[in-house]
Amino acid sequence: MQAEVEVQQEQEILYKQEKKRLTRKKLDSWLLLLPTLAIFIFFFLLPLFFLFITSFKTFDAGSGIGSEWTLQNYVKFLFDKFYLGVLWRTVKIGLLTTLVAIVISYPVAYQITKANGRLKNYLTLLVLSPLLISMVIRCYGWVILLSNNGVVNNTLMKMGWIDKPLTLLYTEFSVVIGMVHVLFPYMVLSIMGSLERIDPSVIRASQNLGASPIRTFFSVVLPLTLPGIFAGSVMVFSLAVSSFVTPAILGGPQVKVMSFLTYEQVTTMLNWPYGSAIGFLLIFIATITIVVYSKLLTRSEKGVAIQ
Amino acid sequence: MSYLCLENVVKTFDKTEVVKKMNLEIKKGELVSFLGPSGCGKTTTLNMIAGFLEVDGGRIVVDGKPVHLLPPNKREMGMVFQNYALFPHMTVFDNVAYGLKLRKVPKGEIRERVLEALEMVRLAGYEKRYPKELSGGQQQRVSLARALVIKPKVLLLDEPLSNLDAKLRQEMREEIVEIQKKVGITTIFVTHDQEEALAISDRIAVMYEGRIEQMDTPVEIYNHPKTDFVSRFIGEVNQIQGQVVETYNGQQCKITFDGYEQVISKLGVKDSVMNFYLRPEKIQLAQTNREGLHVKLERKMFLGAKTRYILQFKEKQLIADISNTVLNPDLIKEGQDVYAVWNPEELLLVKK
Repeated sequence: MQAEVEVQQEQEILYKQEKKRLTRKKLDSWLLLLPTLAIFIFFFLLPLFFLFITSFKTFDAGSGIGSEWTLQNYVKFLFDKFYLGVLWRTVKIGLLTTLVAIVISYPVAYQITKANGRLKNYLTLLVLSPLLISMVIRCYGWVILLSNNGVVNNTLMKMGWIDKPLTLLYTEFSVVIGMVHVLFPYMVLSIMGSLERIDPSVIRASQNLGASPIRTFFSVVLPLTLPGIFAGSVMVFSLAVSSFVTPAILGGPQVKVMSFLTYEQVTTMLNWPYGSAIGFLLIFIATITIVVYSKLLTRSEKGVAIQ
Repeated sequence: MSYLCLENVVKTFDKTEVVKKMNLEIKKGELVSFLGPSGCGKTTTLNMIAGFLEVDGGRIVVDGKPVHLLPPNKREMGMVFQNYALFPHMTVFDNVAYGLKLRKVPKGEIRERVLEALEMVRLAGYEKRYPKELSGGQQQRVSLARALVIKPKVLLLDEPLSNLDAKLRQEMREEIVEIQKKVGITTIFVTHDQEEALAISDRIAVMYEGRIEQMDTPVEIYNHPKTDFVSRFIGEVNQIQGQVVETYNGQQCKITFDGYEQVISKLGVKDSVMNFYLRPEKIQLAQTNREGLHVKLERKMFLGAKTRYILQFKEKQLIADISNTVLNPDLIKEGQDVYAVWNPEELLLVKK
């Protein structure tokens, strides 16, 4: 009897020690997240919170941010044709950039995935190389190509195809071109990721059952890469709608986008509350677009979502 | 008349011939296994038949028509892959219906045939599931239904059971044979598992280094292996050496295995040494029979229905597998002297 109680006590102690050890282990893995968490909270969540607060304040000519609460900033934006136009243009440029990036990235990703060994590494590096050059330099490169006196217009005129220069620069077209150039590597990489995950025997199975290569692509390969297309689209779209340098250099004041508007309000007009409201609306609209997009993309492909 | 013919089929990878002038004839409705160690060319041959690899020489003929120049989608073969290869983004129903949709079969008929195929593999009611939600065995059954529903000319099975656990593997292989016989489809079954091949095949093609070593019924392959490789690869063998003492009119000869003399009906040259294979289960043990080969029991291993006896004979070892109902393993102690006896007809002459 005595011995039994002792054994029981001993087991209880062991059990408690084990439990303690496990809790500590759990804690340890969370500790590793601490640096990221700190950066995320202090440099992202907290500023976002202040931005949100500021966007509901009145404008004060002296200090920028007034002390009264108001909805005026949002009302001003949402009932003004000019501002709504800028918002629409931003989203349109974002969607166009994403679409063009998908179309030109898919064949690239496909070929790289098919290449083997060393060639694959070189091709990947080649795709990533635009990221190694400063965005400003790349944009000025496009200015040289697209301006009225630029390479493209000069060549076309010399060939006698046009009489006067085409307006290429400072248009939505030039902004989309510059944006695609900067952002398409993200699309290539994420499509490559999902292409590589496809089991080659699945493609063989499709052919074996009677599908031509084209049919196999549309029935099997494309649906299985939708997650990659989606991930790439989220990256490209959110970077495109929030980008500042490319539209500023290639679009100028003629092609105003949300980020430029925010910049103008904050630095030129010194209207911080209104700038905050514009910034917040951009985040809001971008998020909604991505959610709607993901719904559309995964609607018919439940199997992929499960994956 | 043979239904599927391979005529001098050759495949080369980087200047090495992986399949060397292979000739093969399979009758309609027959189940033939390609059996061999990895790298013997069995999967390569299967892939050439399916059209995933081009032939570098020779012809493949199905039902009298050469098919080796057709792309895989025009060959009408049903394939079951080792890793199932189901379309992860489609339901079980859509997976099975895929081939029928491509053939523009009317909707109502598709539904009928898919449900029928799923019934056959005992997966009725699973139509709406996704492959992810099925076990390995269930996935392989869907794969089988998907291959069979298009009524292919030939069913190709590429190591379909090797990703399943032992128990399930046995169940599935019986199921596959049952379905195959019911449908009556010409089938090629690739495997490296000799037990599997022996159990299910009408005929086995034993392959080694890109060649068919022997193609025969399981019983023939096991009892009368034609080459050295086949006798070593199928089942286990003891290698023993005997010396010819006397020859009788060229038909028979007397051989001595270290004093244990036997007359065998094989051609021999006096005083020459002959090499034989002997299956472990063909050896009997006796404690008193002075006629047998005198050996010492080194070790014994209880294997359930039978016991494996490791026998020491001079410097060599012999293995004997004896059913526990024939010989009680407790009767012989390790280290004890015993006599090994076998029927001289069971000796397989080694061809070099």
